[in-house]
Amino acid sequence: MRNSAELTRREFIVKSVTAISAVYIIPDLIPKAVAAKPLDLEVSAKTKWAINVDVNKCVDGCTACVEACVDENGLYGFDRPETDSQWIRKLQIKDIKTDKVTTLPMMCQHCENPPCVDVCPTGASFRREDGIVMVNQHTCIGCRYCMMACPFKARSFVHENLTEQVTSAPRGKGCVESCNLCVNRIDHGSETTACEEACMKEGHHAITFGDLADPKSRVSLAMQAKPSRRLREDLKLKQRVTYSGF
Amino acid sequence: MSQLTKILAISIMVFIPISSYSHGDEKHSLIGESKADKLDQCVEPTEVMQKEHFEFLYHQRENTVEKGIRTKNHSLANCIDCHVSHDEKGKAIPVNAEGQFCQTCHVKTAVNIDCFSCHATVPRDNSSKIKSTGHNQNIHIESTANNLVEYYKETNYEK
Repeated sequence: MRNSAELTRREFIVKSVTAISAVYIIPDLIPKAVAAKPLDLEVSAKTKWAINVDVNKCVDGCTACVEACVDENGLYGFDRPETDSQWIRKLQIKDIKTDKVTTLPMMCQHCENPPCVDVCPTGASFRREDGIVMVNQHTCIGCRYCMMACPFKARSFVHENLTEQVTSAPRGKGCVESCNLCVNRIDHGSETTACEEACMKEGHHAITFGDLADPKSRVSLAMQAKPSRRLREDLKLKQRVTYSGF
Repeated sequence: MSQLTKILAISIMVFIPISSYSHGDEKHSLIGESKADKLDQCVEPTEVMQKEHFEFLYHQRENTVEKGIRTKNHSLANCIDCHVSHDEKGKAIPVNAEGQFCQTCHVKTAVNIDCFSCHATVPRDNSSKIKSTGHNQNIHIESTANNLVEYYKETNYEK
């Protein structure tokens, strides 16, 4: 039915302008993402990935971040909570004096002085230049010293043969694993981790991820807005994961 | 004597090209079809890939895990994307299954592959592709723009 003869002058102009603006103008109006690191470039200490958790915004009973982490990294367990892998978990803490109950997500704290790296006999547990503490599973021998050294109980050991791994998170029996700040996503230019994304989607905004070196990043702004502190500051581990609001 | 050497030389010249490996028409795996079947050559010349593919993978794995370099050329995920076979229904067959690309050779040469106790054996599916809210929005806008262009073409040109 569509025929150039039926097209009025007005329609033609309107449609032309729409199409041209859609192609040339609208994309320029959308704020572009910060230029991501090219895939062939090494990570450097110029970026400092960090997470800030606002405990007051974390909702009791919500496990969106945990579920998102499971989906992102394929952490499907065997219904054995004692041994199943857990990269992020929800904790409940109670103030003895006031009986106030707060919940918070607990994951690898990405210390600048990580005890898990100190004790690793093979160098498999290491800290990447940009501050991500992770396990090189090619060299991990599964001795679990790092699990004992970690004050935050952040690491898990894979006890059983796995079959349902996702491409972005290879994992297997006999290796220790923990939160790696969604390293695959981050390296590919994503600006958010799975847990932060889930928390934002729920509308809670308790978890904020970003680059500490950039004063305008989400995490920097969140930390400027509220005083934050690290867990067990007496250990002087200088974690990159900080908690606000308690 | 000289005649004998001549015959020998000629026979070598004739037979060596025949016995040498050809890649073009040879099918990679026994069951199903893969993207690699249709290509002339892998990321490096075939002879190099046959002998040294694990060197590339070792090199790439150090770079990726420790330095965060995520180039595609020598990455295992990309090997799998290309070399995995699909059955008639279009479902991917694990690349380490019997008779598949990796397994055929490794069984023949009696070399065990350790990759797939940890790494995925089928390509990343679309749902687990890198998602970020901002990124998705951009894609969405681009696709609407493309739709508009299509519409513009449809309305202004006779078919």
